[in-house]
Amino acid sequence: MPPRLRSPNFSSVSSCPSVRPQSIAQPARAARDFSQSSCRQVTQRRRKFYEWLNGPGRALKQPLPGSTNYLGAYDKFGNLVRGGTMPEKAPEKPKEGEAAAKEGAEGESAPVVEGQESADELDAALRQHEKEEQATKKDDENKLPPETAEDLRPFPLNKFFRSQPVLSEELREAIYQFVVKEGKTVPLASITFGVSNERVGAVVRLKQMEKQWIAQGKTLAMPYSKAVLEMVPTTPYIDTSLPKNAGKRPVVHEPINDLIVHPATRQQLFVPVAESRHFTREDAGKAFDNNLLPADERIPHPELVKVVRDEIAGYSNEERRALAQERYREAAEKKKAAEDAKRKEELETRRTVPQRRWDFVFQDVSVEDAGRDGRSHKGVGWRYGLPHEDRKKGQVKIPTKVEA
Amino acid sequence: MRKKPRFHSLKKLKVRQDWSRWSLYSISQLRPPNVTTKTYFQQKWTAKSDTRAYHGEQIREKKWKRLFRRNLPAVVPMDHRYLARFDGSEQAAGRGAGADSNDKTRTPPQTPYMQMTYYPIERRLDSAIFRALFASSVRQARQFVVHGLVRVNGKKMPYPGYMLNPGDMFQVEPSSVMFATGAQKSRSSTARKVAKEKAAERAQAREGNPAPAHNPSQKAEPIATREEPTPKELKEHMQSLMVDVEHVLNEDVGAKDKQKFRAFRQTVRKAVSLWSKATPDTVSTLDTQFTFLKDALNARRAAQTSAPAEEEATPMMSPEDQKKLKDAFEKLKLEHENTSAWNKRDASAPYATPWRPRDYMAAFAFIPRYLEVNQNICAAVYLRHPVARPGLSEVPTPFHVETGQLAFNWYLRRR
Repeated sequence: MPPRLRSPNFSSVSSCPSVRPQSIAQPARAARDFSQSSCRQVTQRRRKFYEWLNGPGRALKQPLPGSTNYLGAYDKFGNLVRGGTMPEKAPEKPKEGEAAAKEGAEGESAPVVEGQESADELDAALRQHEKEEQATKKDDENKLPPETAEDLRPFPLNKFFRSQPVLSEELREAIYQFVVKEGKTVPLASITFGVSNERVGAVVRLKQMEKQWIAQGKTLAMPYSKAVLEMVPTTPYIDTSLPKNAGKRPVVHEPINDLIVHPATRQQLFVPVAESRHFTREDAGKAFDNNLLPADERIPHPELVKVVRDEIAGYSNEERRALAQERYREAAEKKKAAEDAKRKEELETRRTVPQRRWDFVFQDVSVEDAGRDGRSHKGVGWRYGLPHEDRKKGQVKIPTKVEA
Repeated sequence: MRKKPRFHSLKKLKVRQDWSRWSLYSISQLRPPNVTTKTYFQQKWTAKSDTRAYHGEQIREKKWKRLFRRNLPAVVPMDHRYLARFDGSEQAAGRGAGADSNDKTRTPPQTPYMQMTYYPIERRLDSAIFRALFASSVRQARQFVVHGLVRVNGKKMPYPGYMLNPGDMFQVEPSSVMFATGAQKSRSSTARKVAKEKAAERAQAREGNPAPAHNPSQKAEPIATREEPTPKELKEHMQSLMVDVEHVLNEDVGAKDKQKFRAFRQTVRKAVSLWSKATPDTVSTLDTQFTFLKDALNARRAAQTSAPAEEEATPMMSPEDQKKLKDAFEKLKLEHENTSAWNKRDASAPYATPWRPRDYMAAFAFIPRYLEVNQNICAAVYLRHPVARPGLSEVPTPFHVETGQLAFNWYLRRR
């Protein structure tokens, strides 16, 4: 049986297989006599850590002024890749059609056959804009060139993630003014600024709150806000009404026509179709699921498709505008009718009896709600053989929603 | 009981969800998984253990297993011009329809579904707070929630495990955010002792001679001014004032270089002191200074229009100029507020003052697209669930694609 405690008098390297051969042999120190672990490795790791921190990691400690500062922008030795002596590449061919989210008013670019916008191109357009801006401002010679896709990687190993730009303060203010002061609709704001519908709503909500705070005299977290917006890439606001931005287009923040991948379309199907048959998107959708709508109706801005179709059909500008307005009016009427019907039905099925402190609300329920086996959660009231489980172990009591 | 392993260990490098230098170091040391010498089970195990140390490390494994979904959300960004132009039949057309070419169309980039394995965790309130850059680690975000510093849709939400719904707005107490993201205060006993001694000295000096030196000079100023400024003087002053206004409008609030703001204040003071009506009491604040200047100029103009015999050439303030002046005053006020609120040294603040971002924050500063953040009020809206799109996954994960795939496969429970 081997001794339980290794004697420090043993030769250190040969008896200890866990010691890596590259570690330098040191004489065992008297203070560590009883320690089983090899202190050399610990110190080596720590040394490496501090070497990295003081070498390649040093540049990451403070933010770079006027730029992002991510790990992906540096090479192994801690040199900023784009700041080095990289030769200026040949001028990139101008990206077209990407910044053109305007309502089908401009001419057609080369047809995209895959039918997808690529996020890379959107970002490339943004960088192109930055480059142009810097070309016009030649006075800052020592300023860094704009970031490439690699420079925006906080995690260099994950090629599928990058830091995407956020809205700049001016753009947020412009969206707020557009929706609240000018009273335009959210979809129109979304198309104009190249920002998704939900984001427009959120920006307006947050801006409103900010204005409230200012009115109430609360202090805003200004230094924090400034510091963060310096550190992350931002989408600038280009005010096309200004004379200096006459020929420019607004920078598109994100793709606005995202089609959600429907779970029914995740499977692979083999559908034999006669070659003579005109097999369209709609038919393909039917093959997956009978209730699946075609892509042109499932995207967030189906009206854009219709506008372009009108254009192809050869309508003039005025006619197209009239048609679009007609469609908009119809949709609004339909929505209003549906809301009215819902309210009416609610009035019919619910009866409210106002009392001193609370109102009693009577609502029609059906026995059938409990389902065939009587155990459906839609059923009302206590049912025999169906105990409440809210006191049982492991029942989640965290609220699932908070009313806004 | 077994000793709990270190949170940041150099022996077993794990990436954690925080902005520490250890995390940065471990991100820099990450390598693609070793697939040659390990069995499939071993690969999956390591991938799971590494990714779980980052994603939802504060959640128990059993809880996470119940959260896991094998259906991962994805979107495809569509081009509306393509949709209008083609009805999709061109993709089904074969050689019989005349489609007879060998050149391949460009394939869109791969959709990284399995980098999205941990997307349900991003829905949790504590993770969302961390992702919105309101806390320096998920554990800190969790503490904020538990301590009642976080509101969801305006109501206090003390549960860090609350699953945000699309459209939920959460806000964190700005002072806590400033604390979490600001540089740490260096506390040294000597610094404190020195500060105390200095304060004592100052107090002693004040008691010794109760400064009477300031009053006479203040009295002297208004006496020196005349009854009314001459038009020429006024014109000169207005010109210099407008130049300063331009400067101020170009300057950033909170900028390091405060000279332009200072110069503007000086000219404003001079312009005000031209009039004899102005006493230091009436024009002490910026607001009163502005209204005073405006009223005086308006009165002057009214006088001029009533007496057209006088020279008309003196340019009074045009409406645009007046608007500009007002803007400049507002900016000056904001700047003043900014300096007084944030840039002063404040020993009671829990962070280093004046505020600056903490070390290594920039390397971790990114805001994913499923959040819309307003940093001024420290509030954010959870827009939608994170999605994968061609070439891009919205769940921020530091690991290699293969690691993500292995971890996903671990939780499929067919091992």
